[in-house]
Amino acid sequence: MPDEIVVRVFDIVGGPLCVSADDGQTVHDRIAPLLRDGHKAAVSFDRVDTVISAFLNAAIGQLYGEFPEERIRELLSVRDMSADDLVLLKRVVDNAKLYFKNRREFDQAWQEEVGDEE
Amino acid sequence: MIHYLLAVRSDREGFEHLAAMAVDARELFASRLEVDFSRCGSFDANMASPLAAVLARIADRFNAIEIVNVPVAIETILRKNDFLASYGYRAIDDESQTTLPFRRIQRSDEGRFADYLEQHLRGKGIPDLTDGLGKALKQSIFEVFQNAVIHSESQLGVFVCGQFYPQAQRLVVTMADAGVGIRTNVRRYLRTNVSSADAIRWALEGGHTTKTGSQPGGVGLKFLRDVVEANEGTIQVASRLGFYEYRGGQEKLEKLAADLPGTSVNIEVDTSNTGNYRLPSEVLPGEIF
Repeated sequence: MPDEIVVRVFDIVGGPLCVSADDGQTVHDRIAPLLRDGHKAAVSFDRVDTVISAFLNAAIGQLYGEFPEERIRELLSVRDMSADDLVLLKRVVDNAKLYFKNRREFDQAWQEEVGDEE
Repeated sequence: MIHYLLAVRSDREGFEHLAAMAVDARELFASRLEVDFSRCGSFDANMASPLAAVLARIADRFNAIEIVNVPVAIETILRKNDFLASYGYRAIDDESQTTLPFRRIQRSDEGRFADYLEQHLRGKGIPDLTDGLGKALKQSIFEVFQNAVIHSESQLGVFVCGQFYPQAQRLVVTMADAGVGIRTNVRRYLRTNVSSADAIRWALEGGHTTKTGSQPGGVGLKFLRDVVEANEGTIQVASRLGFYEYRGGQEKLEKLAADLPGTSVNIEVDTSNTGNYRLPSEVLPGEIF
């Protein structure tokens, strides 16, 4: 077993577009067990040409709901990502930290309670 | 019933005229709607998306829809972008290649949306779609589509089209859904009776999301705003009774005169402004987590 396992996003998604939350979930589902088992994981965006926040929220952002920040910092790294996309990922990560601190319940019943008035 | 559609440009009035039709036909069931264009002085090609979203909801109540008396200039526009093909009109070849044709794409069919952009965004005034403005615009369009996929609850899909204006060097892309609208989601989340306009304002703030599950949100629309701001372009969002516009550095938030179902987003960029689209601040890979 190598010291660090490379998670190749292009191969998991099956192409250069990382533009859906569903694909992000698939990538998450490959990363999370590695972290759970204490492996170091390097997420590679080699050959990926488009990535959006909805993908990154699912793939990486939601890890902050499952692992402590220190554990993620210790085990997870990214590589082969453009400077622009790194800034976007940083926004997603900072946002995820806040999101899980302030998470609240969604109230499906509300719509019925308030009716249609403005 | 007959509805006389008034002019539909990419502005608040245009959305109001579409909303007026939705309201007019609200009670129509298993009947027939004739959309009469004889009083429609002009129609922006990209606005075929919200028009289609309104008509899809009307058709979903088992109504037959007919489009009649379309002035020649408008007919040409809407045949060129394929919108009128669904209503028995023959398509016209878009020889100048300035149209992003009208398509209705199911929320589950994300691959088809990616193929659509791959095929039709090329040659619309942006030479490189892998860097700068091209990359940022593509990301922005995908962000809006994903928002519709995640939040709209639209059973009728997402409606997309666009138009490139070579002389003005402007490209407009419009996505509309026939879903619950931004207001419903924000009300459910905030548990307060916010207006449609305030709900749009809230949703556009960075870090604001109505998600509550395991996947965070609240970055995408802020990203879109930053890209359009850097480009000095325009964003319009119309949803239920709310209308938001960002243009020339100014934000405008207004109430629509009638209830427009779902959510429509217009993104207009200046294709000559290929300046710097880097998001503010540089980040090193080691500083991410």
